Amino acid sequence: MMSAISSVHLGKTYPKARPGRFALDDLSLEIPPGRVYGLIGRNGAGKTTFIRIAATQLAPTKGTVYVLGEDVRTAERSIRARIACIPQESRPLYFLNVEEVVYLYLKLRGLDPRESRRRTKDALEELSLTPYARSLVSRLSGGLRRRTLCAMVLASDADVLFLDEPTTGLDPIARREVWEAIRRASRENRTIVLTTHYLDEAEALSARLALIESGRLRLEGTPADLRARVRYPYRVLIRGSYPREELASYGTVSEIEGGTMLFTREADAHEVARRALERGFYISMGPVSLEDIFLDVVGKSIDQDTDSAEKEAEMETSA
Amino acid sequence: MSERNRLRSIFTLVQLNGIIPIRTTPLYVVNLLASPLSFLFFIYIVSHGTYVAYGITGGMVLTMLTVGTGLQSDLTHYRHDLKLQDIVVASPVEAPIYVAGMALSELVYSLPALAVFVVLFFAWGFATVTSLIVVAGVMVLVWAFACALAFTLATYFKDVRETFIFSPLLSLLFSVLPPVYYPISALPAWAQVAARISPTTYAAGLVQGAVGLQPLSLSAAVVDWSVLVAFTVALFVIAGVKARWKEP
Repeated sequence: MMSAISSVHLGKTYPKARPGRFALDDLSLEIPPGRVYGLIGRNGAGKTTFIRIAATQLAPTKGTVYVLGEDVRTAERSIRARIACIPQESRPLYFLNVEEVVYLYLKLRGLDPRESRRRTKDALEELSLTPYARSLVSRLSGGLRRRTLCAMVLASDADVLFLDEPTTGLDPIARREVWEAIRRASRENRTIVLTTHYLDEAEALSARLALIESGRLRLEGTPADLRARVRYPYRVLIRGSYPREELASYGTVSEIEGGTMLFTREADAHEVARRALERGFYISMGPVSLEDIFLDVVGKSIDQDTDSAEKEAEMETSA
Repeated sequence: MSERNRLRSIFTLVQLNGIIPIRTTPLYVVNLLASPLSFLFFIYIVSHGTYVAYGITGGMVLTMLTVGTGLQSDLTHYRHDLKLQDIVVASPVEAPIYVAGMALSELVYSLPALAVFVVLFFAWGFATVTSLIVVAGVMVLVWAFACALAFTLATYFKDVRETFIFSPLLSLLFSVLPPVYYPISALPAWAQVAARISPTTYAAGLVQGAVGLQPLSLSAAVVDWSVLVAFTVALFVIAGVKARWKEP
């Protein structure tokens, strides 16, 4: 099966970056068609740089990206006809109302007015924006503005959607509505490349995931693949003061508020859980979360910023 | 994109950035009327009415230049603060379509000011077939080069604040220092040479000549048109080669 997006030894160094500072380094990825593909990584890891190159907004320094079989360096026009993007930190024009944002975007892409109206109506309904259809963007909350942008690209006729942190600022209910709209777009055989800081979101939506750190690919695969690649695929949380030294031989132990966390193998998890229960401790156990995997691979939480070339470029742009 | 879809995109941009904002905030129009009309008022007071005719022809040129400075601010703001350029780049809309649509949308804001000047133009008895053709041609060229320059600069600015520096500078270079609001003969000899650097000197020369405010020989008219067209073409070429639609 041909990939929808394929990056080949992709490298990016921003023009004013210090020598040796790269935003992406030799990044090769295969993104299958008709699925949601999650890019995860800390701020400045290189996710946005990858999306911007694939969406033909930014030129690569080395290597290239093929989108729907076409090279971003030479076939921009035909790629652009088939993609849509919500950039990170983008906002809709504040003097338009919600309906106009979606409708005019579709007309701008060349859809005829009747089709644009129909798609606008459907998208607003799907994302529960119909009550706000005539509300000016300037009067909406940040979350509703972001949802309006999601409606805009999801209503488009694009085969590939690039969503750079689409749910930032949304409340949990709104996030789930966006998730459902993304899943539906994926069922329509559209390819969706998603970056997010919410690892539960990445896991819930993505058929495959790529973990990027310092511009390099660190892990890639289905959520199950990622779990299989970590040393300890199970976690046991024991409430109270369970003797730490009894756990050390089973895996990695860390103190958390109100208890102890053990990362271990499945069989050991069952054994430790049984022993703890016999001694009257409360426990919870299960497969490790994506957050645990991230911590294990990167050594830092996803919430910690990097000191990277992409971050430098962002600061340069906003200075 | 088919030709029909390109036209649809251009009209959509006019609607999006021209018609709808005016409907939402009509004060935009008053703001854009203010600059050329205040110049006219100032000239009327200072010259005791003598140079009002120059104020009318100059106001028409300045209105077209104002379209460019407005476009520069809007494009920079949309690109940085709303990421609109990135959204449009990742779509079937090509850069010339985006610029054409946005440039036309800015023209919508200037229509009331233009209407005032057209009325004055007729009232002062300037309207002949020749003068109308010349004035229309000059205004189209001034609008075109101002917009090409605005687009190129907007793709380089790192913040909308930079437009606050460049817009008054461009206004000074294109509409105050060159003889847009007065005859070139009013300048000292050395300043007349310096004024020849600005394309608006040639635009004003053509308009002032067409309405009979200044003598304009056929050879001078040919030179003025040639320079104005060459400058416009040069700015389009620069926009095509240097403007950062896709970032390097």
